[in-house]
Amino acid sequence: MNVGLLFLVGLLSLGLLTGGCSLQSNTVANQYPTKPITLIVPFAAGGSVDMMARTIEKVALRHLGQAIVVTNIPGGAATIGWNELAGAKPDGYTIGVIGMSSLLQPLYGETRYHYPTALEPFVQVISIPAIAVVRADQPWKDARDLLDYAQQHPGEIKYGHPGLGTGNHVAGEMVALSSGAHMAQVPFKGEADALAALLGGHIQLMFATPPSIKEHLKSGKVRVVGVATEQRLTDPVFSNVPTFKEQGVDVLLSFWYGFGAPKGIPEAEKSKLIAGLQAMVNDPEFKTNMEKSGMPVEYLGAQEFQQKWITDSGRLAKIVKDTGIAERIANQKK
Amino acid sequence: MDIVDMLLNGFYVSLSLSNLLACTVGVLLGTLVGVLPGIGPIGTIALLLPLSFNMNATASIIMFAGIYYGAMFGGSTTSILLNVPGEAASVITCMDGHAMAKKGRGGAALAVAAIGSFIAGTMGLIGLTFFAPMLADAALIFGPPEYFSIAVLGLIILTRLTGTSMLKSSLMAVVGIMLGTIGLDSLTGISRFSFGIDALQRGIEFSVIAMGLFGVSELLETMIQPTIKQRLQKVRFRELYPNQEEWRRSIAPIFRGGMIGFLAGLLPGPAGIISTFASYAVEKKRSKNPQEFGNGAIEGVAGPESANNAAASATMIPLLSLGLPFSAGSAILLSGFMIHGIVPGPTLINQHADLFWGLIASMYIGNVLLLIINLPLVGIFASLLKTPLNILMPIVLVVTITGAYSINNSFFDLALLIGFGILGFFMKRTGYDPAPLIIGLILGPTLETGLTQSLIIGNGNVWSFFTRPISGIILGIGLFIIIYNLSGWGGSWRKDSGY
Repeated sequence: MNVGLLFLVGLLSLGLLTGGCSLQSNTVANQYPTKPITLIVPFAAGGSVDMMARTIEKVALRHLGQAIVVTNIPGGAATIGWNELAGAKPDGYTIGVIGMSSLLQPLYGETRYHYPTALEPFVQVISIPAIAVVRADQPWKDARDLLDYAQQHPGEIKYGHPGLGTGNHVAGEMVALSSGAHMAQVPFKGEADALAALLGGHIQLMFATPPSIKEHLKSGKVRVVGVATEQRLTDPVFSNVPTFKEQGVDVLLSFWYGFGAPKGIPEAEKSKLIAGLQAMVNDPEFKTNMEKSGMPVEYLGAQEFQQKWITDSGRLAKIVKDTGIAERIANQKK
Repeated sequence: MDIVDMLLNGFYVSLSLSNLLACTVGVLLGTLVGVLPGIGPIGTIALLLPLSFNMNATASIIMFAGIYYGAMFGGSTTSILLNVPGEAASVITCMDGHAMAKKGRGGAALAVAAIGSFIAGTMGLIGLTFFAPMLADAALIFGPPEYFSIAVLGLIILTRLTGTSMLKSSLMAVVGIMLGTIGLDSLTGISRFSFGIDALQRGIEFSVIAMGLFGVSELLETMIQPTIKQRLQKVRFRELYPNQEEWRRSIAPIFRGGMIGFLAGLLPGPAGIISTFASYAVEKKRSKNPQEFGNGAIEGVAGPESANNAAASATMIPLLSLGLPFSAGSAILLSGFMIHGIVPGPTLINQHADLFWGLIASMYIGNVLLLIINLPLVGIFASLLKTPLNILMPIVLVVTITGAYSINNSFFDLALLIGFGILGFFMKRTGYDPAPLIIGLILGPTLETGLTQSLIIGNGNVWSFFTRPISGIILGIGLFIIIYNLSGWGGSWRKDSGY
């Protein structure tokens, strides 16, 4: 390999890395899409939501006639990516991953855009419930045991979550509120750090999602004391875990993610885009690949997803107010 | 022995044609992205993720891992030859590696880096092979108070790393810590010092700052050099490899670096870069001629370059046996597993024995391949210096800018890169060393998070930092160093009459 070749290879990989900057061409509505579509992922590469985007990247060409190019814009609890998405030209060439926390973030104070109205949901892809996890050598067999203990020993249970105001934190406060128990929250920088602290016995409880807990549950290191869904989970590993509801704790919370776009895309492009996304999400290859990564597809079409968007928007606003999370964050801003 | 049998079986798996090919492709790509400044393994693996759906699970994971640890091999190349770090983890290698290159010992530095990387990488692998689950559990004993104490000790030791004045180094470390507070804080849910700028909410990306302070500033430095000086000393071929004396001096630092890197890799945080700084500090402290550091001490290349490779092997331990990705690099590797429906964790070794042992065996093979690839490359890279710098440096700048952009797809990061490049240029001219700033930027957030979390967990009791045994010991060492330095400082104060 000589120097020239080395740099050629280098430049080629540059081209790959900056890929997606294609030449502008005149867009004619009925020919849409005429160039690759940018998919903004508001998280860093690696991680389950990024994987969802990359899995769709793989089947896009088949259903849309154009490639989808994933662009990771991480940081600011996903708000930087969503700002980019909400501010993008609504021409159907920029779409993004949206999720439950796009409804949560504006509730904590000023975000550049009011996502519930600035973004438009197209299809839901996954919905993962919140679960409460303790180490297996702890005495609490279920949520009732745990909450009784927490009531008798206020502040003694420390629960971990991946950041103030995240869905996991909201789940924790919902559990505390509905049982009247006082538990202290410990914020971590991501689920991995929180899980490490739980496994090491530094915190007693954590709110997580099934995919990250499954292997530890299988190996008997942790116990799941409650799941925040209506019905028990169908996955055999989790099927004997009682829901919070059956234990008299009224907590329902799932983290859902899907695809959306800035508001105001012309009808013709929008219906084509929605049809394309629908076909992609229901593509057997996409479904198998998602299944393999431990995130079975829970598809919702545009109408149902929009309905959920509106219901959850109202519901979450009430929750963050009742649990005092909004107030807590607002106080710190002063 | 059971493990040996399984490892042999792993070699059987990884020596199949397709897996061997995957390993070779992985380490080649890894070397390449390691060499190119700013472009790292994370972006590369992310790009290849969708392609790997069609590959066999074992082969694709072997390839991704190859890219990951391969990048640690290549990172030192531009650090040594051009004083432009190839990866954040090779920042410290610039100090002595480049000084060696200026003296015409660039080839020796590259060779020592490659061989040290090989030895330490393999050391890490031996640890991974025999003690993975045990070590992973042991690392969990470290909780927030321990991380806090490590950050304190790190700041105490590492701030004085490069030997400019105490005052200037401490100032830079403080600036680094201050920069580390920028952004959306996950502990309070609020945005700090972001002045309404979206990109600042993300916080300051330390690899962008490292590239600016070390890489771009060096490019500016070459710009103002007179043209005659723009040629680095020629490397004669027989001087390409280390001489006996250099070997003798490198062996111990390689093994020490390997140990340090291995331990750092077990804990959360950017283990690669932290371990290189720690190794450099240890080598400098142990050296009989500490004044040689910064002027081409081969120990300052051998130790850190070994440390980051051992760290790369060791970060696989929490990833494989607990499913916990403690760094951005291992997070993307985790995705590489997940897309094939394989979830790393305590059940991995039993459920996917072939894959687990195949992967580990492939890493032994990959390390050998990397050595075979890298040693001949030493000559080629050294001849790179024949290119006039006024042609070479603009190309390096383009690559650096591309790499910086690819981290967050952010133009703001480019402004940071250039801004800190200019700042770094003036810092060097005025005798402010940028290394403590990077240390502050990395350890500051750990310090703060650890403090807050520990106080919540310990019900606000500050003494819990001292009563927990590990944390107490670490803080004790830090206290001892401060007292020791203060007494020494008092003595030298009279001698030097200040700075």
